[in-house]
Amino acid sequence: MDFSIDPESRRRLEEARAWGREAMRPAGIEADRMGAPLPVDHAYFKRFVERGGGRTRWAGPDGKAERGPRASVVTTLLLSEELAYWDRGITVADPGPGLPEASVLGLGTEEQKERFLGPFLDLDRPRWACFAMTEPGAGSDAAAIQTQARRDGDGWILNGAKCFIGGASRADWILVQATVDPTKGRGGQRSFFVEQGTPGLGDFKIEKKMGLKAYESTSFRLEDCRVPAENLLGGEPRHEQKAGFKRAMATFNAGRPVIAANAVGIGRAALDEALAFAREHELLGRDRIRDRLEAMTRKLRMARLLCLRAGQLADAERPNVVEASTSKAMAATVGMEAATLGMELIGLVGVRGDHLIEKLYRDVKAMDIVEGTGQIQRMIVARSLVQLPR
Amino acid sequence: MDPSDELLVLVETTRQFANEELLPAIREAEQARGPGVGARAAFEQIGLSRLELPESLDGAGLGAVARVLVNEELAAADPGAAWALDPLGGAFPVLAALGDAALERFGLPRLDASQGRVALAWAPECALTIEGERVDGSVAYVPCEAPDLLALLAPDSVMLVADGITAEPVRGAGLRAAGGSQLRLEGASVAARVKGSAAAKAVARVRLQTAALLLGVMRHACEFSRAYALEREAFGKPIAHHQALAFLITDMQMALDGARLLVHEAAWRLDAGLSCVGEAASAFAQCIEAQRLIGPSGVQILGGHGFMADYPMEKAMREARALALLVGGFDAAVECAGQELTRTETPLGLELAS
Repeated sequence: MDFSIDPESRRRLEEARAWGREAMRPAGIEADRMGAPLPVDHAYFKRFVERGGGRTRWAGPDGKAERGPRASVVTTLLLSEELAYWDRGITVADPGPGLPEASVLGLGTEEQKERFLGPFLDLDRPRWACFAMTEPGAGSDAAAIQTQARRDGDGWILNGAKCFIGGASRADWILVQATVDPTKGRGGQRSFFVEQGTPGLGDFKIEKKMGLKAYESTSFRLEDCRVPAENLLGGEPRHEQKAGFKRAMATFNAGRPVIAANAVGIGRAALDEALAFAREHELLGRDRIRDRLEAMTRKLRMARLLCLRAGQLADAERPNVVEASTSKAMAATVGMEAATLGMELIGLVGVRGDHLIEKLYRDVKAMDIVEGTGQIQRMIVARSLVQLPR
Repeated sequence: MDPSDELLVLVETTRQFANEELLPAIREAEQARGPGVGARAAFEQIGLSRLELPESLDGAGLGAVARVLVNEELAAADPGAAWALDPLGGAFPVLAALGDAALERFGLPRLDASQGRVALAWAPECALTIEGERVDGSVAYVPCEAPDLLALLAPDSVMLVADGITAEPVRGAGLRAAGGSQLRLEGASVAARVKGSAAAKAVARVRLQTAALLLGVMRHACEFSRAYALEREAFGKPIAHHQALAFLITDMQMALDGARLLVHEAAWRLDAGLSCVGEAASAFAQCIEAQRLIGPSGVQILGGHGFMADYPMEKAMREARALALLVGGFDAAVECAGQELTRTETPLGLELAS
């Protein structure tokens, strides 16, 4: 049994900590005060790219692009927690191929990798890509999406509306999830690359949010938006492989523990701020306050361990569906509790609206919503534990 | 975070012992105020009584991780019996903290005889007067039948009392298979004492082994009530398929899994020589919180049957409650962890395992 962190992960954590303290948190606070995402030409993004961020993991057309070893899921979780500690909104705002990259690497044709990930090999400027699944009428129930894809000669016509899509208006391309047959649920769905500027892609609206203001959550419409056949992820012949890939992915999950780790990071930031406040105001001698801080510390530690356990299983390619959902359900709740305790500890200072804990309190709520709500996570666990019918 | 192959063998052996020797006799052991002769012999034969004893003293020389894994397995069958089977009554950490002389004088004879009557008590909770080396007063309950050696624990000291003890049997709310006594101490004397970090570490160890017993009881409650909920039907389907119960069963399992990780991490820290006093107290506190949910919920899922002694859920609820009150219970654990917290700037600053 070993709970230690390896030296390389520790080094990366130190780097993340330094960057977080120096750049991420100030940028996150700036966006929060501004009430809007950081603009694409913000100096933060330029620096992010200059220090090597925002690149693809794809090794390039000849397989020779210099890439360090891919981080383990456990290391990714530790980094996710640390970065979210400094500013979770900024971690999402950071340039790069983002969420769809794994799908392109796993399912895309070589041509698609070159065309869509190629520009992320050697960045000339900050670039973004994004994945669009959520719709006004389909959140957790992804099988219910209504955006339609209709074959039209050598291309596809897309029609529908997407919402809450991170970075859509600034993305070079959006990987849009659409259905060719709504009666088939997930089985009828396909993913399409839609490049910025494609006729029919528009009506971008950056939503006003309670928290996590540093990145844009955007709604947009697709109206008779025509994309060529080669924009279908993986191409038609590869759909059987895609199904196989998805089946494999269903047994271990790395996405939910990442959000869980984010929640732990935000909660930990709230805890540290609350502790600092308690120290400054000599509150730690009060049993009631110390006990509540202890409970929070304990629960955050537990949530972290649950994340790491799920990550460790994913690294070993062992089934982790229960552990991943458990980590997500627990960490999101605990993160919220930590920020709530922080607010109660600082009292009216928090209500004033300019304290970091107040921002964290608004930010952390989303962690119980994105990547499946706590209720969805319980349904997933219950399917395993008691075969809860779908 | 997985146990080594060696520890997995130990876990499997202990599970087999618990399922074959303890589980079929849980009510008999309660009635008899102790496990049967066969169970005692088998326990000794597979070497579980000398798990942590140094190899130089003919023990297995294993650490806190091994202890918590074994205790969970034993308690998943019968926590009272698990307590009674240990000839040192869970007091090994105290004897180890007191040093080789104490271990040889008070521990080895009991281990050699495969039987001991050692009681553990949390001193701040007892009505005791300790003046110099003299101890007078009473201890309301210990999970031990007629003890002749008492290990007293406090946040910053542990001590042994070997004489002047009068025990009166009590029925016990839980852990009846361990026996139970109320103690009077008149003119008792402190036979050995240690203070400071060694004592704090001994307390941490005792908290962890008790937390692991809680894990076992909770696991049993989760597994039994889940299986029942899949068999029992109401309104045309298994009760587990009603979302209210499905979510309750899910919450119970998640509480157990989280608490277990805290116990394992604290035990690993202890074995690795890292700071562990606050972590062990936290882990115990979290187990106690978890049992508040799991103990009564196990009964609840079985409804009326849960309340009856025909099913083991009422026992699990009582056992969990009793275990959670030992070693100072929740308040002392939280106090300990809280005190550790005040000494740290960033308590979770990913210095974990450094």
